[in-house]
Amino acid sequence: MTGRVRRQRGESALGAIAVLALALYALFIVTPVLMSAWKSLTDENPLLAHARFVGVSNYTDMLHDDALKSSLTFTLVTALAVTAVANAAGIGFALLLNKTSLSYRVMRTVAFLPQVLSGVIVGFVWRYILAQDGVLNHLLLSTGLIGRPVTWLGSPHLAMFSVGLVAAWVLTGFTTVVHLAALQSVPVELYQAATVDGAGRWARFRRITLPMVAPGTTISVTISLITTLKLYDIIAALTSGGPANSTQSTALYIINLAFTDDRFGYASAVAMLLLVVSAAIALTVTGLLRRREVDL
Amino acid sequence: MTALTPTSSTAAARSRTTGPADPADPAGPSRSPAAAPARRRAWASRGHLTAAGLLTLAFVSPLYLTIINAFKSQDQIVRNPSAPPAPPTLHNITDALGRSDKIIQIGLTNSAVTVLASVLLVVPLGSAFSFWLTRRSAVFRRVVLAAFAAGLMIPPAVVLLPTIRILTILHLDHTYPGLILSNVGGGYLSFAVFVYSGFLRAVPGEIVEAAALDGAGMLRIWWRIIMPLMRPATATVAIFLSLWIWNDFMNPQFILGPLRGQTITTGLYLSLGQYSTNYAQLFGVMFLAAIIPVAGYLALQKQFIAGLTTGATK
Repeated sequence: MTGRVRRQRGESALGAIAVLALALYALFIVTPVLMSAWKSLTDENPLLAHARFVGVSNYTDMLHDDALKSSLTFTLVTALAVTAVANAAGIGFALLLNKTSLSYRVMRTVAFLPQVLSGVIVGFVWRYILAQDGVLNHLLLSTGLIGRPVTWLGSPHLAMFSVGLVAAWVLTGFTTVVHLAALQSVPVELYQAATVDGAGRWARFRRITLPMVAPGTTISVTISLITTLKLYDIIAALTSGGPANSTQSTALYIINLAFTDDRFGYASAVAMLLLVVSAAIALTVTGLLRRREVDL
Repeated sequence: MTALTPTSSTAAARSRTTGPADPADPAGPSRSPAAAPARRRAWASRGHLTAAGLLTLAFVSPLYLTIINAFKSQDQIVRNPSAPPAPPTLHNITDALGRSDKIIQIGLTNSAVTVLASVLLVVPLGSAFSFWLTRRSAVFRRVVLAAFAAGLMIPPAVVLLPTIRILTILHLDHTYPGLILSNVGGGYLSFAVFVYSGFLRAVPGEIVEAAALDGAGMLRIWWRIIMPLMRPATATVAIFLSLWIWNDFMNPQFILGPLRGQTITTGLYLSLGQYSTNYAQLFGVMFLAAIIPVAGYLALQKQFIAGLTTGATK
């Protein structure tokens, strides 16, 4: 009897904590998304006393917004390119470091370090490296690979490339560790059997390694995509979105619309667009990769 | 590595960098045990080590620059950016620590308080909630977990503006409690619930039932039995949340605002503007800003990698 009473008491205390967790989630995830959805239909602006309902006009305005188009293109292209490069590099790096001796363990530890730094530090260090009079140009000039300094961050196309390079650099530490973990679960007997059957290195890599690490790849690709789709702090420190808005990610564009232009309503509409696009991409790619896992 | 398996030479060359690594290399046992291949193998593994070492060095060279330039004068940095400090100077570090606005000391304190408070709230909340979830119906559990997973995918910029509005209504805008509360309720709780739920799947229900038969309440079972069992999950959650909250830039920048003190990350961003050409000062500040997460990672890297890989391969 006392047991049951105490159990119920414990259950309700645990239930109270659960309700608190659900309430916080509702307050800081669900409500903000709903508020964004609602605000996206208004002309809310901190300078106006009352926001008016404007229907879908924020959404139709997007069709003529070149800054939005360029930010979205930049975000999508970077997300796909960075994910591809970081994961290819991660698989390669993982294969190279997949040994147990001390020096390889040290290398593995070191390879993850970029992930530990804040995006602001990463952005600044690379700004210093890629500056016109920076280390990279210094190095390339002294080896005679280039004749005059390259404006890595000064011209739109190169700046986009540079931002992608830096984002891929950070993510590679993560993709390497995930693939290393996946590699360690591949049974050696599979390779032995394949070798006996006359499979070469490339065949073994394609037919055994890649399929066996596929679940790791799925996670690694999904997280790479999600991370790059919300890229903000690295860009803020590296290029601030310039030159000529060429590296303005959609996240950065939303922040600028809200905090520089005071266009809360329109910023909310762009936020909804980013939300839908991110969800669509993440779900599509994860779905495709899952199916590939099964097929292989 | 010499390819002794019957492949074309181009395939062998191509796969030299991508082929499976040596100890796991199945070609090993099939090779003839003669002396020549053994010697060749030794050379190959030395070559592999050299290649891996060079690549790793190139990969982390930006970090090398951050460290050495923190100990060089402005003049040394500009004249020879990649040379080691000769002689090393502590001026940048002492100057950064001696600033009259105490940006480093205040930033480190504020970041530490924010991280500690957020983690101390998210860990029990996430773990108790996940345990409570295991006792609900499968459908309910699946729906809630899907909703929390969605929380992980939402770009922070999407919820930032309404979050600030909600904090204003609660009179918590531009305050640390506001920042901490939005940390606790936002994507970080989602992450904790995700990790804990994954771990709880491996905990047999009999343990809980046996304890309940002995008369223990659910709260007590959670605290005395589940929490100790989930120590690895707690380590994962605490380590990753600490790192993310410490490095977070967007939330402190906009939730605290420019006038309400800084975390180390926003303080660093401010210094970026102030010192845009004084590299010596900036590298000093960056070194101090990076030293705690890096030291923490190096000290805990085993748990770090373990947490990452269990999370990722599950």
